[in-house]
Amino acid sequence: MAFGGSLAQSSVVPSWSIGGVTPDLPLILTALVALRRGPETGCLVGFASGLFQDAASGGLLGVQALSRALAGFAMGLLPGRLWVGHPLVQIPGLMLLTIAEGFVRFGLLQLFHYPARLSELFVHVILPQSLYNGFVGAACVLAFEAAQTLRRRQSWT
Amino acid sequence: MRFRRYALLLGVLLTSLFLLTVQTRGGGPTRAADLLALALNPVQSVLAKIHRGALGTWHTFTDWRTIRGENAVLRADNERLRIQSLQVHETDQENRRLRRLLALRDRLPLTTLTGEIIGREGGGWARSLTINRGRADGIALQMPAIVPEGLVGRVAQVRPGASVVQLLNDPTSTVGAVVQRTRTAGLVEGEPSGGLRFKFMARDGAGVTAGDLIVTSGVGTLFPKGIPVGRVTAIEDKGSALFHFAVVAPAVDFARVEEILLLTGQSTQDVAGLFIPGG
Repeated sequence: MAFGGSLAQSSVVPSWSIGGVTPDLPLILTALVALRRGPETGCLVGFASGLFQDAASGGLLGVQALSRALAGFAMGLLPGRLWVGHPLVQIPGLMLLTIAEGFVRFGLLQLFHYPARLSELFVHVILPQSLYNGFVGAACVLAFEAAQTLRRRQSWT
Repeated sequence: MRFRRYALLLGVLLTSLFLLTVQTRGGGPTRAADLLALALNPVQSVLAKIHRGALGTWHTFTDWRTIRGENAVLRADNERLRIQSLQVHETDQENRRLRRLLALRDRLPLTTLTGEIIGREGGGWARSLTINRGRADGIALQMPAIVPEGLVGRVAQVRPGASVVQLLNDPTSTVGAVVQRTRTAGLVEGEPSGGLRFKFMARDGAGVTAGDLIVTSGVGTLFPKGIPVGRVTAIEDKGSALFHFAVVAPAVDFARVEEILLLTGQSTQDVAGLFIPGG
């Protein structure tokens, strides 16, 4: 799943660009998997997808792997503490997660003297991407719910 | 359980930090970074290949979708242009026919009226054309109908807005005619098979050969003299019979007639010279 998400991110997703902003599909998948499978799976999926993304983008190996592993783990811990089963909670949660992951990534990159300023990154990259992730995440959640409903109906018949 | 969970997180974090450290430490490549690169380069290479492949496939798909859309537009354009071309061709053909009809009308020393075919009856029992000229246009029974190639027939019925023209090859049609070359007189009759035959007296038949042009005789006042009817294609030798028959190919292709001229006036002049062979 991590591999497929990363592959889609570097092949299909660029064509969904709106004003230069693209959704972060691997992060969305990580969050949705973490919410359903718990922190361990979320952490591993986040780490693997981040590592693939790092490798594909040619950046520092480990930055996205670390930030996404943390994001997946944190998202996986939420079901026991918050009521996260409803899409109206999942979508804002995904947007907040995108922002948090952006901050973590920025923090890590600061260790390697990343030149851009957080305010610019936030306005031009993190915030628009979190909104886009919210929309795509909503579509994914709806598709997932529809698939589950269909499966339940088939099991009854 | 809880310990295992955090141990996993710690392991992942340490792995990431280790990766970052070996990539950036000391300014030059270290053994660990080399080892990492050795392990990851093939993966990266494979990923890059897969990425390129996926990207190529995606581009192929988007191109295909674009081309399919363009193809549909071009097909629609092609269809529209083809229809336009057919319409232009049809108009051109009609224009040619009407010009020839107009030229004939100008040549003839008769008053005429043009008519457009609006119906056809082609069964063996009767062969006729319905035209868009009727009683109000001054059409009368027995009026001859012609086209630039020759005689079509005569008006057999007149209605308020239309008339029925009996074709020469109608089985009940009879027209007085002569062989233009030999002046042999006879009758052109329609046949149930759709053909024409020229019935003439045996004593006058000497010299009638295939290829001879049959024209209206002008005997009586019905048809002006000299309108082409058809050409003799064969002679049916009846031996000692009083009447002989010649098989005649009509001068007019009745199936292709679209407009006709109705002769509303009379003339005793031989009009054969006004009909140009082939229309």
